[in-house]
Amino acid sequence: MDSATSTHASFLKNITMDKPELTSRLKAIITTYAQETDALAHLTEETDFIKDLKINSANLVDIVLDVEEEFGIEIDNDSMSRMLTVGAAIEIIEAKLAANDRE
Amino acid sequence: MIGNDLVDLQQAEKDSNWNRKGFMEKVFTGSEQFLINSASQPAQMVWLLWSMKEAAYKIHTRDTKLRSFAPTAIQCNNLVLHENTASGEILYEAERYYTQTEINSNYIHTLAAQNLEQLQQIKVFIDHYNPSNTDYRNKNPDCVSHHGRYLALVFI
Repeated sequence: MDSATSTHASFLKNITMDKPELTSRLKAIITTYAQETDALAHLTEETDFIKDLKINSANLVDIVLDVEEEFGIEIDNDSMSRMLTVGAAIEIIEAKLAANDRE
Repeated sequence: MIGNDLVDLQQAEKDSNWNRKGFMEKVFTGSEQFLINSASQPAQMVWLLWSMKEAAYKIHTRDTKLRSFAPTAIQCNNLVLHENTASGEILYEAERYYTQTEINSNYIHTLAAQNLEQLQQIKVFIDHYNPSNTDYRNKNPDCVSHHGRYLALVFI
């Protein structure tokens, strides 16, 4: 595969996972564990998994594992330590997907 | 400063599958996984270690005002397990915390403090948890933990 084709391929990969799609797939995972339906209905990047959605910390581990399965990525402990809000989760998923694309 | 954490074992059984692939590695260090795998009651050991980590984490975040979700960085050490109690230590970011745990068939409740003297002075109040009743706040507890059917308040 020449470099032009490879660039094109990874570009296609990126547009198949745009931010709204990523967010809605993440939201589906979060919905399983969230206790606060109001906060879930008004999800923003600032929404805090524990404070706003009242997700218990054991289920936060489940969210990390579900995200790994759903997006085919591996979330290292350092990234997990920052995964406290929806925005942080999106940022981490995007970074890991981009890293997968470069492989 | 003191911290506490209560795990309602029935609720934990319902909400969490600690046996799922990857869960142990995300939460427990190698030596903690060894304790769990060699325990006569692995589920009890999972929630014992979990509550030790949570109780110490509560002191740490109030101290530093920094939140972080890094369960493997909060390390359980020197665990001594009896039939209905356990004692141990937590090491987290170079800080040491001492823990004392009550274990029964309904719940696991861990107290944490920065020194052993303080740990022994903690007064515990455990009641059935009623989400619509927030009167317990008037008692000014030093730390609160509720899970499933139970509410645990601690005072120093």
